Amino acid sequence: MADIVIDHVTKRFANFTAVDDIAMSFADGEVACLLGPSGCGKTTLMRMLSGLETPTSGRILFGGRDVTRLPPRKRNVGMVFQYPVMYPTLSVRENIALPMVYDRQVSTAERERRVEEVLDVLDIRPLADAFIENLSAGNRQKVAVGRAVARQSEIVLFDEPTTNVEVNAKLHLIRAFKLVAQRLKQTIVYVTHDQTEAMTLADRIALMQAGRILQYDKPQVLYNEPTSEFGGWFLGNPGMNFVPAEVAGGKITSPILAAPVPAPAGLKTGGKTTIGIRPEQVRMVGGPQDGSVAATLTEQAIGIAGRYLTKVRIGDTVLKVNTESRPPAPLGGTVHLIAPRERVMLFCDGQRVTV
Amino acid sequence: MAVEFQSITRTYGTKRVLDGFDLEVEPQSFTVLCGASGSGKSVLFRLLVGLEQPDSGRILLNGRDITNEPPAARAIGYVPQNFALYPHQTVAQNMAYPLTLAKTPKAEIAKRVDRTAGILSITHLLNKTPDQLSGGEKQRVAVARGLLKDAEIFVLDDPLVGLDYKLRERLMDELKSLREELKATFLYATSDSLEALNMAQRLVVVDAGRAVQHDSAIAVYDDPRFARSLDLIGFPHANLLPGRIENGQVEAGPLRFKTPAGLRDGGIVAGLRPEAIHFEGSPRGASDDLAIDSRVTLVENLGGEAVVYLEAGSSQLTAALPLSRIAPPEFGAEVRVVVDPADIMLFDAVSGVRLDGGAN
Repeated sequence: MADIVIDHVTKRFANFTAVDDIAMSFADGEVACLLGPSGCGKTTLMRMLSGLETPTSGRILFGGRDVTRLPPRKRNVGMVFQYPVMYPTLSVRENIALPMVYDRQVSTAERERRVEEVLDVLDIRPLADAFIENLSAGNRQKVAVGRAVARQSEIVLFDEPTTNVEVNAKLHLIRAFKLVAQRLKQTIVYVTHDQTEAMTLADRIALMQAGRILQYDKPQVLYNEPTSEFGGWFLGNPGMNFVPAEVAGGKITSPILAAPVPAPAGLKTGGKTTIGIRPEQVRMVGGPQDGSVAATLTEQAIGIAGRYLTKVRIGDTVLKVNTESRPPAPLGGTVHLIAPRERVMLFCDGQRVTV
Repeated sequence: MAVEFQSITRTYGTKRVLDGFDLEVEPQSFTVLCGASGSGKSVLFRLLVGLEQPDSGRILLNGRDITNEPPAARAIGYVPQNFALYPHQTVAQNMAYPLTLAKTPKAEIAKRVDRTAGILSITHLLNKTPDQLSGGEKQRVAVARGLLKDAEIFVLDDPLVGLDYKLRERLMDELKSLREELKATFLYATSDSLEALNMAQRLVVVDAGRAVQHDSAIAVYDDPRFARSLDLIGFPHANLLPGRIENGQVEAGPLRFKTPAGLRDGGIVAGLRPEAIHFEGSPRGASDDLAIDSRVTLVENLGGEAVVYLEAGSSQLTAALPLSRIAPPEFGAEVRVVVDPADIMLFDAVSGVRLDGGAN
């Protein structure tokens, strides 16, 4: 059993703080994704888990054991990198078996059993005797996954393993990865900048920005209940809209609201307040309705799965709206927007204000 | 400025890269060429800016034949796919270089560099040299340099390829606004269908050196005239199932239904958009719907939508569903999905031409 505890870990390089006092834990047997844009610190955090970097301060515990200063080979973790490191002159089967050959606790029979199991789970049995140099990038990465998980270390770390794999092979890899995670129940930490990959693979996602964890929760919670403007924007194709709002006299007014709504008690005044709403949560209708505001349709396109992706303008405010049906007006025409009360979110200085 | 390509042919050795390419680009449009890599988009652009000559055919700018004019006489802004930055010059100098050559006044250069750098969010990089930049940053500098020119036509060859999704999302918006502001004609190549659909006022499907369909993006999406249009345009990618028409019956993968009127026996490809595959809980259930028993092999979570990969017999199907209305099925689950035969498009197996009537 191995949970991972990150106990107030900071990593500084000269004047730059890559990881800034992170305190969190990954549960045993959980698939956790570290998600964020480049430069957010996710790779540095991963390298500290693997032992390739040492924290400036703080501790890392695997199953209660302090590994902060242990070298990589003493941590008993499997690792898969962007570029798989493999032995080109060995077969797929031999590459998978290799890390176990030097492990005295694994008998020959057990080693063979695990190699066969991994070949099946990853659906690469037909390639078992092929040489690595003859494989596609996607299949090489599958072998790398196989090698990392066959050791049955309690923790496996993945650093953007699908970056250099073409789209179709990527799907196969992600499918194989899901099967491995379900079957072997190892604790997995997976680094990616790809929101879809994180949403698809993770039990929980740790969203990172500027060296900190902004939110750590189930994928659908991150999507539906972002705690920051950054989170609302980063997840979603396209991301959430943020409409300016003003707070005065206990009321909130905003171009997206037909009438002022009561401000929550805790909302400070003087901060930059916005109303967040996802493009697919805005309702667009042809005529005025109760609670609707008028807008001009300025752009229309097709988005994911044939949905209509439009831009509308209310005064100076531009919103993206994503609907299943065709916009009710031509380009340049007037449409009416409804932001359902239960779908709008209030943010102050970038942070969610819950009502 | 109107651009016209007339029967352009270009051959490298035995490979015919452009094969009678015809296209009239509307003045002041954002026109996107979408095709697989190797379909001829980049070569077409190189011909337009004058870096290469066609074997035959003509290129017209506002009716004037420029086929044999030198590049400098064409006044076209160009962002090539493979760009090079001068290593010993700063970002600002790299951007300004084409304007310096054209003897543009210094104050005007500075103004344009600042504005374009702002649009591409590289203002903080202006005094750095290329070796201090990441790959994505270099790419934005190259885009900025191409857009700086005083021109009425801009040619952008896959300028956002490989950039992080969120950066692309923002730059797509910026490039569209920039075109409106400049009132210029933008010709833009990509192999990414979501990018093509998002950006294009006019969309050109390029296949094997020809423009096979040219229309508004929505019209191409709603009514693909060729199997290639359906294949290239749409995300997630459409299902294309090889099959046959025989004895009044269409058979393609798990699909079996009565042949639409007027179609003859022979080999076909059946096309089906992911959003036309419906799950239980969808507002469907007409009597002529086809039911398909399948197994879920992967569910991709896009936040607002899910892409569901299915296995039905020996066929793979891709389906999409809106998460706001329907909960996605479990990984590995057996599910029955339904398809309305009216949503199935039929194409000739050999020519790829659309056989059924299509929309409208």
